[in-house]
Amino acid sequence: MNMERTVSALRVTGLRKIFQRPAVDGLDLKVGQGEFYALLGPNGAGKTTTLRMVAGLMQPDAGTVSIFGIDALADPVAAKRITSWVSDEPMIYDKLSPTEYLAFVAGLWGMDPAVADKKSADLLEWLELKPHAHERCEDFSKGMRQKVALAGALVHEPKLIILDEPLTGLDARAARLVKDALLARVRQGCTVILTTHILEVAERMAERIGVISRGRLIAEGTLEELRKQSGSSNTSLEDVFLTLVAEQEPAQ
Amino acid sequence: MTDATTAAATAATTAALTAPGSWLWFARHEGRLAWRDLRYLMTGGGRWRGRNVIITFIVLGLGLHLIAFGVVGRHAKMTLEVGTPGFTSITGSFLLIFFLLLSQALEQVTRLFYGRGDLDLFRSSPASLRRIFAIRVLAIAVSTTMMALVIALPAINVLALFGGPHWFTGLGIAVAAAAITTGIALTMASVLFDTLGPKRTRFASQVASAIVGSAFIIGIQAVAILSIGTLSPSTLFGSDLVLARMPDADSALWIPARALLGSGPDLVITVLAAAIVLIVPMTLLSGRLGGYAIATASVHHGGNRRAWSTRLFRTTSSRQLLQRKEWVLLFRDPWLASQTLMQLLYLIPAALLLWRFYGDSRGALIVLAPVLTMAAGQLGGGLAWLAVSGEDAPDLIATAPVSPRRHLVAKVEAVLIAVLAIFAPFLIGIFSRSWSMALIVATGILVAAFSSTLIQIWFRSQARRRYFRRRQTSSRIATFAEAFSSVAWASAAATAANESWFWIAPAIVAMLVLVGAYNIRPRTAS
Repeated sequence: MNMERTVSALRVTGLRKIFQRPAVDGLDLKVGQGEFYALLGPNGAGKTTTLRMVAGLMQPDAGTVSIFGIDALADPVAAKRITSWVSDEPMIYDKLSPTEYLAFVAGLWGMDPAVADKKSADLLEWLELKPHAHERCEDFSKGMRQKVALAGALVHEPKLIILDEPLTGLDARAARLVKDALLARVRQGCTVILTTHILEVAERMAERIGVISRGRLIAEGTLEELRKQSGSSNTSLEDVFLTLVAEQEPAQ
Repeated sequence: MTDATTAAATAATTAALTAPGSWLWFARHEGRLAWRDLRYLMTGGGRWRGRNVIITFIVLGLGLHLIAFGVVGRHAKMTLEVGTPGFTSITGSFLLIFFLLLSQALEQVTRLFYGRGDLDLFRSSPASLRRIFAIRVLAIAVSTTMMALVIALPAINVLALFGGPHWFTGLGIAVAAAAITTGIALTMASVLFDTLGPKRTRFASQVASAIVGSAFIIGIQAVAILSIGTLSPSTLFGSDLVLARMPDADSALWIPARALLGSGPDLVITVLAAAIVLIVPMTLLSGRLGGYAIATASVHHGGNRRAWSTRLFRTTSSRQLLQRKEWVLLFRDPWLASQTLMQLLYLIPAALLLWRFYGDSRGALIVLAPVLTMAAGQLGGGLAWLAVSGEDAPDLIATAPVSPRRHLVAKVEAVLIAVLAIFAPFLIGIFSRSWSMALIVATGILVAAFSSTLIQIWFRSQARRRYFRRRQTSSRIATFAEAFSSVAWASAAATAANESWFWIAPAIVAMLVLVGAYNIRPRTAS
């Protein structure tokens, strides 16, 4: 495991994106292979912008993004081949069924059809979508749509999965399914990076947590390390998070 | 009664009328929403600049008045003495606009039941659904009136300026036409809903709206082509063929025409009839509209459906995959398909013309070149918007390991292939008469569709497919560029079909439109 961690799944240096003001301001980030990494921060801290730049959905103004040693800005297609992205708002095709959607995704990633077929059937079964496999997604609940989107993100066996608030709006059972799916992937050596406002998820699932505020990484490490950085021991991640973020707030 | 008592009574009445949940309160709410929608339409979502809007209005108004002068100016001296020929011409022109209004009203009424928006809020509140729907039907009547006035006011002004103030009775006719069309649309929608149920009404109404909007003009053109060999409705209205079948000048059929020519009693009859046609269904049906809205919310579209292929997982290039996806999504969405393809109804006269002159000289086919080129430009623009801006899973496509250029090429190909497939029967028909003409028309179709597609790519702005109708307001520059380029290519095709080298001139104009559009494209889009 430690040998694996010497390989960086994601390495971000000096990442910068300015809209009206700097949304991401010289961010450095390093996530090892097989790691479950949670990126936390208050609203507007730059979490989603960071992840969208990493996923190739947005062009940074400055900085570098390397995914498993591939320069994602110079060779985005190669980087995308081993990456998948899930957003908080599942964007899938209403007029396609889950099976058709997965076949489309598998085709985009150039998967072997036989492997994709088997993989899709397994994922639909696992995510309890099999009874709806041939129904069009237009009447699906948000939870079901999110599960379809997750199946699409997993079907092509990515090495790096990036998720932006994947559990928003899911019921307990659907959330558990998604969490189990992600943990299983990490156990298989896949790297997962997610943002979440549900601190309990980060606390229980993530091996390392990064706290971002005003576009900068203000703290990073295991929960224990974050406790030390915030100067509080035996407190919950919520307390640690609030302390760290409050330190960054300008004096009132 | 003392002054104080009167004032208190007035205040109480005013308070009751404007109290939350009252008619006026709802009307104010609807008015505010409508005003904001109108502002959005005028500014395209940008900043509201009063001066720019006023200048736009003045320029547009002048343009519309100039067009109106060209179309109706010579009829300004018409009086009630025109008799059956004049009444036929006026009534025919009135019906062209009437059916257009009816089409719009039907679509708006149907949207009442299917638009989710704030209906859930109203349904979950103790407010009267009957009242809110009645207000919304009135709002539709108002917006239809506005549309009627946009069409009719320039013509009425021109006629009044050159023929006398009696033409202002046309304003009453415009309002009456809006009221009648709203009443009929409400009745039609209700009948469709009761007959077909919530699942099919939306599509049926969409198709009915498109057919109603185009049937009269297409029917008139078809009759004109088949009987007197022309596309012009006005020539048909003045022909012996039609006049021989029309009633005498004192017939009740001509009441609206006589009202338009300044007859006061006929105007009163028309307006009263219009009020009845609107108020009766509104009173009888507004109580049921809430039920329709609830029924649409319970519609389940799901169920097992046939997949796009029996072999979903197969080796295929990303290009083919993206193309097939575009076609499947369009094919499976009847509403979108109807929105996109209904404009092809206007090709029916072209097809008839082709059929009518099939054995005749090449000259008769010349008219087809601009018609088909123009239609291809518009259709290409619509399909390109769906493929480029109306991508429902943009993140998936953007994170797929396929270069953006390949995505775009695949989508452009999907659009062009679809356009060519739709126009293929026409091309085959023309080819059998003249291969050179077929070549010109095919080139016109491809170039016009490609140009519209390029404009849509340059001005792409991510949106949900269901907002297809709003594509023309989200970027008016793109809409105008698309229209100008289609018109210019249609002119080039017409000139080339006439075997003149002057086709180069409109082609250069079309290229300049494209260069201009490229230069003013939003920098973030491409």
